[in-house]
Amino acid sequence: MLFMFVLSSLLLIAFAVGQESVSERMQSALLWIVILFSASIGLGRSFVAEEERGTVLLLQLNVPGSQVFAGKLVFNLVLLLAVDMVALVVFALLLNMVIENWALLLFSLVLGSVGLAGATTLLAAIIARASNKGPLLPVLLFPLLIPLLISVVRASRAALSGGLGVSGAMGDLQTIALFSGVVITAAVLLFEYVWHD
Amino acid sequence: MSTGKRTSAMGVENTPPVPAAELHHAVTLATPSTHDTMINLRRYTLIRNIVLVWLSLVLLAAFLLNIPKINILEHTARNLYFHVPMWFTMMAAVFVSAYHSFQVLRSGDIVRDIRALQAARVGAFFGVLGLVTGIVWSKFTWYVGTDVWWNFDPRQSMVSLQLLIYGAYFVLRGALDDPNKRARIAAVYNLFAATTTPFLLYVIPRQMDSLHPGAEGNPAFSEITHPIMRLVFYPAIVGFIGMFWVLYTQRVRTALIKHRVTHDPEL
Repeated sequence: MLFMFVLSSLLLIAFAVGQESVSERMQSALLWIVILFSASIGLGRSFVAEEERGTVLLLQLNVPGSQVFAGKLVFNLVLLLAVDMVALVVFALLLNMVIENWALLLFSLVLGSVGLAGATTLLAAIIARASNKGPLLPVLLFPLLIPLLISVVRASRAALSGGLGVSGAMGDLQTIALFSGVVITAAVLLFEYVWHD
Repeated sequence: MSTGKRTSAMGVENTPPVPAAELHHAVTLATPSTHDTMINLRRYTLIRNIVLVWLSLVLLAAFLLNIPKINILEHTARNLYFHVPMWFTMMAAVFVSAYHSFQVLRSGDIVRDIRALQAARVGAFFGVLGLVTGIVWSKFTWYVGTDVWWNFDPRQSMVSLQLLIYGAYFVLRGALDDPNKRARIAAVYNLFAATTTPFLLYVIPRQMDSLHPGAEGNPAFSEITHPIMRLVFYPAIVGFIGMFWVLYTQRVRTALIKHRVTHDPEL
């Protein structure tokens, strides 16, 4: 279902943009918007599903909270990386994307996904506790991700345009790595308070 | 919380109701609340009056004192006394709110949750004021004659993001029913947001140009302000933070009374 969402939103963008050539900045911005929306739709269910199937109590009793968090985080990260790859390939075909620096693009996708998965996993645990779950995850998630979004869009744009921008993108990669590290550390520390009653 | 209620329910049989209620409130709610509501009312009134007098003097000085002529800004430079302290006050409120959220996780005390919420509300109010004064100021100075209302100034972006985060915080609180669960989970979100926002300080200035003093190409704050402006400006910061304190403690006391009325079985 998640991949169908990615495909249909990419097609939507392709039809909306039409034949016009899109600047590198817009390409990386659109790519990340699709990834961000896919994450907020696809990963929000990770803890809600446990509540619905009634397996929360079993996990709470048998497994330490940090292990539950690590498991969910790894699963979300793998899912997100798959979304990245599908989105990247389809996007490159549809919008005639020219990628100058593959290593930088892949690095920014992977590092950005780590931070995105960390933030989404904690917030998914939070919304599993809420009564009105509807569009709560995007509302909580997007304001927190603005620093990450700015950095990854800059890094991806540098990877698409190549040239001088690449050396400047190192600072952005450092910011993304630092953001991801801080978010995951904070999420691990705070998860216990969400997980246990 | 729950143990306090249980003792009050048992102790009510052979003691007169009113003193018992007071005694057990002291047990139920942690010390800060008893400070606010019973003991320190006189001191609170005193500080509130000092803040009001102080702020009135600041306002008088802000409008009556002569200021040197500054290019473009002219007399709108007086907005410095209002616009900048709003931003400082919101930062103070964000710190107070995050501190009390941290204390919620440490102690589980519902009073701390009330404090975190009210600090966030008053902080959001000052954030809106800072944003509006900033937008109007830039529109009628740098952007006069253009249609530009919103520009991607770093500080403007950061305030609007902080307001978005508090909006999400209030929405999240509305989606949680049980008070203890709400206190804990809202505190987690508030602290999680507080760990990500410092990145904005580093990331956003790289992305956007600033209108504010001290940024690249702009004169530093000390170069464009006359000593007489600083004479009003610094007291204005103190005054508006004091105003925050008055509004915040007032709201906390009201919220505590409301909490008691709705949650105390004896009332």
